Amino acid sequence: MSFLALVQDTITKDNVMGTPHDGGNFVTELLAKIRPEWLPEWMFILTAVGIAVGFIVAMVSVIAMWSVWMERKVSGHIQCRYGPMYAGGWHGWAQTLADGVKLLLKEDMIPKGADRALFWLAPAIVLAGIFGALAAMPLSYDWYFARMDLGVFTILALGSTTTIGVVMAGWASNSKWSLYGAMREAAQVVAYEIPLGVSLLCPLMTLGTFSLLDASREQATLFGWDCGMGWAVFTNPFNMAAFVIFWIAALAETKRAPFDLPEAESELVAGFLTEYSGIRWSFFFMEEYAAMFLMSVVGAVFFFGGFETPLTALMRAADLEGGVLYNLVCFGTLVLKAFAGVFLMMWLRWTLPRVRIDQVMTMGYKYLTPLALLCVLLTAVWEYVRYLVVG
Amino acid sequence: MVSASEYFGNVWKTLSTTWGGMKITGKYFLQKPIPVQYPDERLPIPDRYRGIHYLEQEKCINCLACARACPIDCIEMDAIRHGKELEWVTFTLDYQKCMFCELCVYPCPKDCIHMGTEYALVTYDRSELNYDLLSFKGMSRDARIRKKEAEEKKAAKDAAKATKAAKAAPAEEAPAEEEKGEEG
Repeated sequence: MSFLALVQDTITKDNVMGTPHDGGNFVTELLAKIRPEWLPEWMFILTAVGIAVGFIVAMVSVIAMWSVWMERKVSGHIQCRYGPMYAGGWHGWAQTLADGVKLLLKEDMIPKGADRALFWLAPAIVLAGIFGALAAMPLSYDWYFARMDLGVFTILALGSTTTIGVVMAGWASNSKWSLYGAMREAAQVVAYEIPLGVSLLCPLMTLGTFSLLDASREQATLFGWDCGMGWAVFTNPFNMAAFVIFWIAALAETKRAPFDLPEAESELVAGFLTEYSGIRWSFFFMEEYAAMFLMSVVGAVFFFGGFETPLTALMRAADLEGGVLYNLVCFGTLVLKAFAGVFLMMWLRWTLPRVRIDQVMTMGYKYLTPLALLCVLLTAVWEYVRYLVVG
Repeated sequence: MVSASEYFGNVWKTLSTTWGGMKITGKYFLQKPIPVQYPDERLPIPDRYRGIHYLEQEKCINCLACARACPIDCIEMDAIRHGKELEWVTFTLDYQKCMFCELCVYPCPKDCIHMGTEYALVTYDRSELNYDLLSFKGMSRDARIRKKEAEEKKAAKDAAKATKAAKAAPAEEAPAEEEKGEEG
């Protein structure tokens, strides 16, 4: 199936507005209860879209704000410093807010020889990709913006469109540093898309679904026992290896150190960010942190149980399933798992030195890709044997 | 072309060294950070540190020994004498000039000018660096603390003396009175 057909299929089958055959999203459901009689359909749809979009934009902003603060604290403590301590009072929690206000107030500069339209468009495209990808992320079993059977494909496809924005930024800047940075980004993303997708095939085979909701539900049972611990990494040993490959590829995809060559601010000027300043510059950063969160969500859902912990299993046993509290616990579980992943990314960033571009390519093509394929083969064998034994 | 053992050796080396590095950074992450949150908490300063001066005003007799000893003439002092009482006019120290040589401290016959441990001299205006050592307002934080300590010590001493006197009073009233008179 071609990509366009796939997207079309996804949209027609499970569109954001809710479909005849399925319940639709929780925003529409909530609005339907308070909808006045006189409100025309198109206005109702626009309101629902507006609320959903507003929610996602707010989510990206909050995630980016919190992650930047966390990054500074983690890096500080790893280097035996404190990090921000004053802004806002408690451990400098408002530091990022202050930085954001400062970036908003900075002069909006576009270089003289730059392609103004593309220069202006690039941060928007970068952010649009990540917004779209976040829309495919379910918040809990009953709260989601779109019930997508091919959720993971949607996330990977929309998540990698940010590369287009980065290349656009590099080209539009009319600076050799920017262009080289964009080229590095393109080369790196092309190299690491393969192991990323292939290593994700392992848990997809184990769980037998592409949907994030179903994948999470699938991991509730361990050997037929509903304990919330049947995570993909526990039921199949090769998933652990696949997770390591996935994680390295995800680091490269999100341009994080040790693979932050597209930017490499200390050695290679700042790559595609060289000519950007102010709020446009911060859009690229919001994208980076949102992408980190998104990759962590994908990792958490497909390798580490998604919404499932013993707590959710306990709540199911207590017949609380479907309630607001249950959904809140699910949401909190996923966010905590995702931020554990973000923490791991930060830990790795402040541990490892940056690698050279040829080392990045070697690692992607010579090591991760064949090992990911090997993992897929071994997982397939394991799953077949399990099918023969357990049935 | 690399051999299979070298290939998997490389994989193993990458993973094990990454884990080794993460163990080290993880250890540092968990340990208490080293820096001191400066304006709120300060590192202890040795007593012999030559910081901003503090003056024990009640002990000073306006002999000008410190002002004369000063190699760059940054101390200015003046007082009017009313019998035993001194009415202070000025006692300023210009920290734009002062080089913290401690030469003003040694000649003092009453041992009333000291080098303090306060070192923060940042001001918004140069004129503010001309410190008035007399007024409480112009005093450094360090001098204020020492003054408070001295007052507390004195109060404690007075209280001890009062209780001692009160104890002694019922037994032998007359000698206690006499002693007091002699002291005065």
